[in-house]
Amino acid sequence: MRLPRTPVWMIGFAAAGLALTAVVAVPVVWAGLASAPAEQASPMHPTYPLLDAQGLNVLESGAPVSTMKTCGTCHDTDYIAAHSFHADLGASESLPVGQSAASQPWERSTGLYGNWDPLTYRFLSPAGDSRIDLTPTEWVQLNATRIVGGGPAEAIAGLEMNCFLCHTTNPSNAERAAAISTGDFAWANTASLLGSGIVSQTGTGYAYNPAAFTAEGELQPAYVMIHDPSNANCAQCHGLAHSSPEPLTTAGRDLDLWQTATTGQIVSPQKISQSGMNLADKAELAWAWDLHAERGLTCVDCHYSLNNPVLVQTGSKSQPDGILFDPRRLEFGEYLQRPSHQFARGQSAQYAVATDLESAMRRCETCHETAETHAWLPYTEQHMNAVACETCHIPEIHAPAVQSVDWTVLTAGAEPVVEWRGVEGDSGTLSDLITGYQPVLLTRTNVDGGSAVAPYNLVTAWYWVYDDPAGPRPVRLEDLQAAYFTGGAYKPEIIRALDTDGDGALVEAELRLDTPEKQSVVAGQLTALGLQNPRLSGEVQPYSINHGVVRGEAALRECVTCHSDESRIGAALTLSTGGPTGVEPVFVGAASALTDGTVARGAAGGSTLTFAPATIGLYQFGHDRVDWVDGFGLLAVLGVLVGVSVHGGLRVATALRQKHAHPAGSIKRVYMYSVYERFWHWFQTFAILLLTFTGLVIHRPDLLGWVGFAQSVVVHNIVAVLLALNAALSLFYHLVSGEIQTFIPRPYGFFDQAIVQTKFYLRGLFKNEPHPFEKTREKKLNPLQQITYFGILNVLLPLQILTGAAMLGVQTFPQVSTWLGGLPFLAPFHSLVAWMFAAFIIMHVYLTTTGHTPLANIEAMMVGWDEVPVNGETHGAADSAPQPAPGD
Amino acid sequence: MRQRERSSVRPHRARSAFSGAVIVKNIRIWLTGLIVTIAAIALPVMVFSSKPVQANVSPADVLPVHVTHTSHVDLMPGPYATGQEVTRACLTCHPNEATEVMATSHWTWESQPFTIEGREEPVTIGKINQINNFCVSAIGNQKSCTSCHVGYGWEEGTANANLEVAENVDCLVCHAQGGYAKGSYGNPAEGIDLAVAAQSVAAPSRDNCGACHFDGGGGNGVKHGDLDSSLSYPVAETDVHMGELNLLCTDCHSTHDHEIKGRLVADNYVVAPEEQVACTDCHAADVHTDERLNTHLDAVACQTCHIPSMATQNPTKMYWDWSTAGLELQEDEHYTYLKIKGSFEYATNVQPDYLWFNGNLAYRYLLGDTIDPTRPTMINLPAGAIDDPTAKIFPFKIHVAKQPYDTVHDYLLAPITAGPNGYWTTFDWDNAFRLAEERMGLAYSGEYSFTETWMYWPTTHMVQPSENALQCTDCHSANGRLDWEALGYPGDPMDWGGR
Repeated sequence: MRLPRTPVWMIGFAAAGLALTAVVAVPVVWAGLASAPAEQASPMHPTYPLLDAQGLNVLESGAPVSTMKTCGTCHDTDYIAAHSFHADLGASESLPVGQSAASQPWERSTGLYGNWDPLTYRFLSPAGDSRIDLTPTEWVQLNATRIVGGGPAEAIAGLEMNCFLCHTTNPSNAERAAAISTGDFAWANTASLLGSGIVSQTGTGYAYNPAAFTAEGELQPAYVMIHDPSNANCAQCHGLAHSSPEPLTTAGRDLDLWQTATTGQIVSPQKISQSGMNLADKAELAWAWDLHAERGLTCVDCHYSLNNPVLVQTGSKSQPDGILFDPRRLEFGEYLQRPSHQFARGQSAQYAVATDLESAMRRCETCHETAETHAWLPYTEQHMNAVACETCHIPEIHAPAVQSVDWTVLTAGAEPVVEWRGVEGDSGTLSDLITGYQPVLLTRTNVDGGSAVAPYNLVTAWYWVYDDPAGPRPVRLEDLQAAYFTGGAYKPEIIRALDTDGDGALVEAELRLDTPEKQSVVAGQLTALGLQNPRLSGEVQPYSINHGVVRGEAALRECVTCHSDESRIGAALTLSTGGPTGVEPVFVGAASALTDGTVARGAAGGSTLTFAPATIGLYQFGHDRVDWVDGFGLLAVLGVLVGVSVHGGLRVATALRQKHAHPAGSIKRVYMYSVYERFWHWFQTFAILLLTFTGLVIHRPDLLGWVGFAQSVVVHNIVAVLLALNAALSLFYHLVSGEIQTFIPRPYGFFDQAIVQTKFYLRGLFKNEPHPFEKTREKKLNPLQQITYFGILNVLLPLQILTGAAMLGVQTFPQVSTWLGGLPFLAPFHSLVAWMFAAFIIMHVYLTTTGHTPLANIEAMMVGWDEVPVNGETHGAADSAPQPAPGD
Repeated sequence: MRQRERSSVRPHRARSAFSGAVIVKNIRIWLTGLIVTIAAIALPVMVFSSKPVQANVSPADVLPVHVTHTSHVDLMPGPYATGQEVTRACLTCHPNEATEVMATSHWTWESQPFTIEGREEPVTIGKINQINNFCVSAIGNQKSCTSCHVGYGWEEGTANANLEVAENVDCLVCHAQGGYAKGSYGNPAEGIDLAVAAQSVAAPSRDNCGACHFDGGGGNGVKHGDLDSSLSYPVAETDVHMGELNLLCTDCHSTHDHEIKGRLVADNYVVAPEEQVACTDCHAADVHTDERLNTHLDAVACQTCHIPSMATQNPTKMYWDWSTAGLELQEDEHYTYLKIKGSFEYATNVQPDYLWFNGNLAYRYLLGDTIDPTRPTMINLPAGAIDDPTAKIFPFKIHVAKQPYDTVHDYLLAPITAGPNGYWTTFDWDNAFRLAEERMGLAYSGEYSFTETWMYWPTTHMVQPSENALQCTDCHSANGRLDWEALGYPGDPMDWGGR
């Protein structure tokens, strides 16, 4: 049984308890909040009268409220309206058609006023066009819910900027929009107070509630609900923001929730697992929809007024470098009188209004000590430079987002065919299973010039374009409807062309212009309406994803998320599973995001269109590799393997034939390798083996991922440093001891000797002939070995150390690494040399078996003493040298 | 000599190509070399790749092991006519146990004496001498109330002579795993086969403790919002310790010589921290990976965030109005009205109330304390305030009651309810108070009325899985559950700063 959480009687008891003791916490009574306004709804804001456009109290005049006059009593509303891109909507930046830098030739600005968005489709036609889609007044009416007033709306329809929308609790945007769409512009702003108890709708108009006002004509304190914009205020136009303790539920798929619809972003402090959504694997999503909302931040904490003296940033362009903080700023009173309504903003791809304010907002790293919290991440800076914070901290979107919009066809309801990503089922209700989606990672260019991969949704749209005398235009919805419908039903020609299953009716699956025939039928209909050259066009818009940040434990932190074949960076995103064929969509509206990549038709029926972004300038270990390097390297290794196998096989065969036939002569024990030489050799052996193996793990985690990518990186780096140290020490040893000579080929007669040695390996070895050059302590290497080791130790090893160091130091001394070609060059080069090493090791190990017994040389390198066959060419120098006992 | 011989030229001896004789012979040399070489690589790798050792031992690694108890089937053949006979049998092998039990408050029903400022003599608190705002008084109502005492052989009145006799210790109530229940005067219920019960003994289960502590106040979930029968077989969402990890009460309330760790503030004035069970007994003090959360630990008790609501499964009683008892307001219904007890309000998923709490009481109503009947009387009041550095914000259940008081003497009355002449039989308040005067010596003027009383119950069980813990905005928002100003802050400390 479930009873009311907090019975009413508790209110009284709590009050009594307060009187008794100051430390009693009053139980919160939710029910109490929902009813009549609290005693002091807005404690800081003074009471005020509502004034009409003439400056008269509306109680006297009965006229609509003028926000500019009412709020203008104390605040400089002219200044506010003139400093607000929310009011301006790009109007002041708009240029005549054809002159704007916006992405489509018929656009006039990048703001809501004068731009064209295929999602909303309707078009504010330039005056003088022969076919007008929206007149300015119609534009205001159609966009009523998204226009705050002022700017073009005031110029067109006299709509003042509506302060109430953003600064009062629960304004009625719906009532206001309803008034606007019916053309009642004068009362629209007053209508936004409906429901507050201040004004009510009568049969014929609006009436003010005298009880809401004092005798002096000011609002009663209980009705003064003025505050900083809350998330709910912003959410009216921008997307879903949920703050109540009730479980969040939304089916999404609503363009009125713009940001949620286009990206799936939801701003709520609630844990996803505790929301009421039908989400796949919901129980595991035990973190907030938006970490910042959970931590009590609100929209305006980041998107603050740019002259807010509390939040205004120092270190702006106008500030000398030598100044860290400039205390000269507005006094509070000055700010409250003239608060700029230009707000700090990021750099979303779509709306480029007020471009001078782009990235005026604080970035992640302006508030967060990212180096501190990411110390666990190897190559922290390198990762931070290449990967935007959002990439790892917004790993997944858990709401439907629009995927594609096909305006080349119309549904029976005269709507486009819309696809949504991140959701299974198409009922559009809560019962659809939300599967969420992984954003695509595009390379974003930041205002500071740096670039990093950041998450985006891609929205693809197709539509008809025709040539108006004044230039190309999108086909008006009105014309499109005329092309498809007659008398409210599909035209017979349309049904004939599109009715794939021949049942005489069109279902959504059939609404697709996937053949030239179907396209030409619709084009014919449009032409018949008098449209010149109707043609299909397609575009892709990237929508940046910056909200819905999660904390570390829910963020991406596994190396293999990117360092593997299935790397998130460069991973493809489905653009659409439908749409017309024969017209590839092109990217638009993405000034800050690189959109290079590959658009591909999927194999399955050819209907799925995907986009795989290019990863420019990045080399992801474990994901990227240069095919020819690996091919060549593998070939070299296999070639050597085949070579030594053939050679070894022949030796075995020969040896079997010539059983017990050993070279004549005797065996001499020589102390060949000093302790240090042996240590150096074996240290190098183990180090190279370990490096080769861990290097392979890093190179191909898809094959060897079970070893552990992160651990391999750490071991690889440490052993690499050890190897370099070992090499340096041995160089010193060999130089000082003079042993270096053994590695230096003597120019005189070198080639002759090399030929002799080659001949021995090819022929003499099989005949059990003695080695042509005796191995002595001073001259351990034959000419072939000399040239090989010279190459290995003086060319390959230094190269490998150098490229390795440049890669290791990619964030410590990035200039050097960049100068050397950066990771995209260094890493494949390093791989190539590694392959050479691998090939050499095989050859080297094989050649050690060519001593007088197969293990003799290895034994010598282990114990120092070598058994050297004595033959006629012995120089005998070794005999006279004093020699230490084994194990010295 | 040896060296020269070895380095000399000697005739080639044919030997097997892969004999490795040299390797075998020089094994000490190269093995040493091998070890040194590998160590030269491995040691730096280990040193430089090692991560800082996690100082916190996971509490999951030190979970108690529950051993199977020795079967007493053959040790306790029976038959036993009385509980005392069972106890005698127990004591033959466990001779000290009864004495141990008799030193605990489970037996004495009385705390140690506390010296309280403003009271002339040291006071003790317990069911033996004080009242609450549920069934009011155990003393005088021994017939029923002692079904939750660990002893047999009670009688009405204040003599309590039974407490002197070791044989009266009821071993079974805590140790019998089946077939046992208590009836009147602390004795086994009628019809119990004591041999069956005695043969089932083992270490106390949750149900042993729950028999009294789940039913505190006279029924399931009446007294405690955080203890009820849902803990018999709890799911993780009810209590992560007892559900997911199957902890028993005694795993935290560890026992030595039958003295059990963990004190109830309702029956004590001051509880020394070492007497109390603390989260940090198992969990690291700064357990959160999120530094922001750890900054809360000075002011917020673990329970505050980790027990977001009480009575998640079974309802708990929030309000008890004795004044409507006997009026036959409606048909008896367990959760709303009983003729013998009056009107109730129960609630589930109750959001606790939050107070500064330092683990002690600021006040405990003692029998005879005068009250102001126009205002709620605090039966107890947790101690702590914003300026008390040892206090933290802590969740409480507040049980509100309307209970009888003497309008002449202005103190709370303790009616006799149980027994043949008790209120539950006669429905005569006057008689119930006169009986109490007789049995307990609480003078009754003949005039009574009802007054409101509050009793605070700390919420510390039913810790929920971490994903259900409170989040920032549960407190730091317009809808937040904490009343900052009532707690003594100028406003939300997120904006105004902490204490």
